[in-house]
Amino acid sequence: MGAYIVRRVLWAILLLLVVSFLTFVIFNVFPSADPAALRAGRNATPALVEQIRRNLGLDKPFYTQYWYYLKGLVEHFNLGYSYYNSESVKSEIFSRLPATISVTVGGFIVWMLIGIPVGIVSAIKPRSILDRVMMGGSLVAISAPVYFLGLVSLFLFAKGTGQLQWFGAAGSYVPISQNPGTWFDSLILPWLTLSAAFAAFYARMTRGNLIETMHEDYIRTARAKGLRESRVITKHGLRAALTPIVTMAGMDIGLLLGGAILTEIVFNIPGVGRYAYLAITNSDLPAIQGTVLFGAFFIVFANLFVDILYAFLDPRVTYG
Amino acid sequence: MRRRTAVVVTMVAGALALVAAGCGGGGKSSNGVQGANHTLAQSGGKKGGTITVLSEGDIDHLDPGAAYYQFTYAITYVTQRPLLAYKPNSIQPVPDLAASMPTVSKDGKTVTVHIRHGIKFSPPVNRAVTSADVKYAIERGFDAAVGNGYAGAYFGVIQGAPTNIGNTVPSISGIQTPDKYTIVFKLSKPSGIFVSALQEPLTAPVPAEYARKFDKGKSSSYGDHQVATGPYMVQNNAAGKITGYTPGRQIVLVRNPNWNPKTSWRPAYADKIVFKEGFDPTVGAKQILNGQADVNGDFPPPAATMKQILSNSSQKSQLEFTPTAGSRFVALNTQKPPFNNKYVRMAVAYVLDRNSMRLTRGGAIDGKIATHFIDPSFGSHGFNQAGGYGFNPFPSPNNSGDVAKAEAMLKKAGFKSGKYSGPQVTQVADNSPPGSNTAAVVANSMEKIGFKVKTISVQHSAMYTRFCGVPKNAPNICPNVGWLADFHEPQADLDANFNGKNILPANNVNWSQLNDPKINALMEKAKVELNPEKRWAEWGQIDKMITESAAAIPWIWENGPTLYSTKVTHASELWNGGEPDVSFMSVK
Repeated sequence: MGAYIVRRVLWAILLLLVVSFLTFVIFNVFPSADPAALRAGRNATPALVEQIRRNLGLDKPFYTQYWYYLKGLVEHFNLGYSYYNSESVKSEIFSRLPATISVTVGGFIVWMLIGIPVGIVSAIKPRSILDRVMMGGSLVAISAPVYFLGLVSLFLFAKGTGQLQWFGAAGSYVPISQNPGTWFDSLILPWLTLSAAFAAFYARMTRGNLIETMHEDYIRTARAKGLRESRVITKHGLRAALTPIVTMAGMDIGLLLGGAILTEIVFNIPGVGRYAYLAITNSDLPAIQGTVLFGAFFIVFANLFVDILYAFLDPRVTYG
Repeated sequence: MRRRTAVVVTMVAGALALVAAGCGGGGKSSNGVQGANHTLAQSGGKKGGTITVLSEGDIDHLDPGAAYYQFTYAITYVTQRPLLAYKPNSIQPVPDLAASMPTVSKDGKTVTVHIRHGIKFSPPVNRAVTSADVKYAIERGFDAAVGNGYAGAYFGVIQGAPTNIGNTVPSISGIQTPDKYTIVFKLSKPSGIFVSALQEPLTAPVPAEYARKFDKGKSSSYGDHQVATGPYMVQNNAAGKITGYTPGRQIVLVRNPNWNPKTSWRPAYADKIVFKEGFDPTVGAKQILNGQADVNGDFPPPAATMKQILSNSSQKSQLEFTPTAGSRFVALNTQKPPFNNKYVRMAVAYVLDRNSMRLTRGGAIDGKIATHFIDPSFGSHGFNQAGGYGFNPFPSPNNSGDVAKAEAMLKKAGFKSGKYSGPQVTQVADNSPPGSNTAAVVANSMEKIGFKVKTISVQHSAMYTRFCGVPKNAPNICPNVGWLADFHEPQADLDANFNGKNILPANNVNWSQLNDPKINALMEKAKVELNPEKRWAEWGQIDKMITESAAAIPWIWENGPTLYSTKVTHASELWNGGEPDVSFMSVK
């Protein structure tokens, strides 16, 4: 197991290097804006634009810029400085991480609490009215874009803008350390919005996996041995059915920790996703690079974590 | 050119043709400027309270020496005191840090400014402002570490101003401080707009002994430690480190304890101003209407929201429209075929469906269809002299294009059938609405007279900095360009865009690459004209000539919509495209 983990970590590092290189290539090869000209403004003299270009290191060949970037990253864990406002990208990302973690973890809890039970109920009563209503509802939830759902929820349920002023408004997010009550209130709608599609997807996946598992031979054996149906489902059926769900959950959490962009934009939550959006809008390469690398880091390591967890969840899995 | 407010993506949704009532107004303010009809409480407001401004994006720079964005100026001008500044409903600069309007010598090469006594920097500097602080402020504008975007354009005329920019604050011999309260500018040649440029925030004083350590290196951090001279300051700690600014989140302005109201014409009613950032325009507009916030900063309310407001008699008065001192236009590359032929350009000017182009940005609510370049907000400062609303060299029914006249022009250009039969032309356009939709209308219009238009779609900023702004990469057509004048002098509106001397290999803003010796010569003459009436008349004539050349085709004079809550009084900045002047607003 130890050797497996070391091997996977080394692969993960290589993958992150490839991701960062590709981001650099994309930014340099495709027609993005000239950061020096953007920083200088449209009325700037050519001399100023060129000096800013030198200050930002953009006068150097692309591979030299990439080398400096890697050196800073490895030696000082320095993600560079924003072309747009000169702020440290690392500081910006880390200051926004708590908000993104708040959105992701809360959303994850909500979608698991809704998605799994709904999937189980649908699986044990397939083709029933309840199953059809739940699966039909999940199809609607999957189809509704986050941006649309977010706006609708704000205009229905948010304080100030909603018809029923129940929950925190857009822009009301505060860190949990500042005011836990306001923090919770401000995140209810983002959690529900974010989790809608995920919960629906997980419900459908749980249903499908569980129905398939319940037709396995060992389930029939368990029933033949006289076990109660509830025990057959929870002890034998769910354990096998949920293993692929754990893989998905790991990947999804990793993805969202890199920034739940649309949710953060609609609800004005100052997280990494919103930062990524602004970085793209401003053609701010260091910020784009930082957020991409950050997102990739979470996805890669969440994947690794899930693979390791597999060994504990499924006795058939071993790593050599 | 300052950056405009946020891109109006959501305005396209409706493409609404709205009633003209309240849309751009036709009122006339006391200074004779057309286009604004605002209410303004200059006195009698209630002291105290908090005003909340909502924005979609962030400011560009806190540093007054680097700030160059319409929205940022709403903060800069109430925290800093340039030599001159504006009252909200005016385009006429008045003394702010200056004690009186500058005096100009007969030869126009010496400008003298006396500054007020009794103005102090905010903590931790706490000392009186002197003329040396203004000198340092302007000099640091020529330091690349500060990165000021207009120092060269307006202050490069000062004797000794560097042309090679480095990472140090230069000493400029032409800025002299004979005493603590006098500053003298020696110019290498007369400049008709130098006095107007003294309203730029670059002239707001910066204490050298405090700022110098922050200005060292490749990027100045003075913005994060700045001190204020205006009625408000960005909240800071005892050491001067800014604590009231969280990028992308909020900016908190509190009262500057060292501001002396006797030295200022700003009423500064509110105790605190909070700029909350990151709002979706739909949500932000709703919060303002509901009184959760007080006014919009960098985003226009979505067109659908504005339509609802204007149709609601109780809400209608909450929305104001202000001209933005600029125009959007289609630039035709005059340096290569087919648009090096004036008649081909004129054909395009006749055939463009400007009405449909305007609909891509929301319709009449977004502004009046432009028929020349100087914006109506200039009024007697050049707009009237260019013929005002009456000058339209390429008229068409309902502004929807005139194919017959366009074909007549093409015949003059040598296309006997009246249809263009040359090679395909290329335009580089925005890859997202509303710009992409505008470009589609341009292509459709031109196809009516035989053009085949290839559209390359890129990000808006890439369109400027990689294509239209780089002559060697420039396409035949740039359909999504525009310009906001930094102040209401026609030179600031026309010179950079249409003077052949300003064609640069990179960061070029003469997008049509117009290089007409006659127009160039008239511009150089108008630039040194010190008599404003004569100067504005000359620029009005130049505007007409540029428009008639069809090197670029203006199509909209845009409005800036400002939405207020019912809890505050209104104060829209006519000089700044309708941004709220929070120092004139008060909580009711």
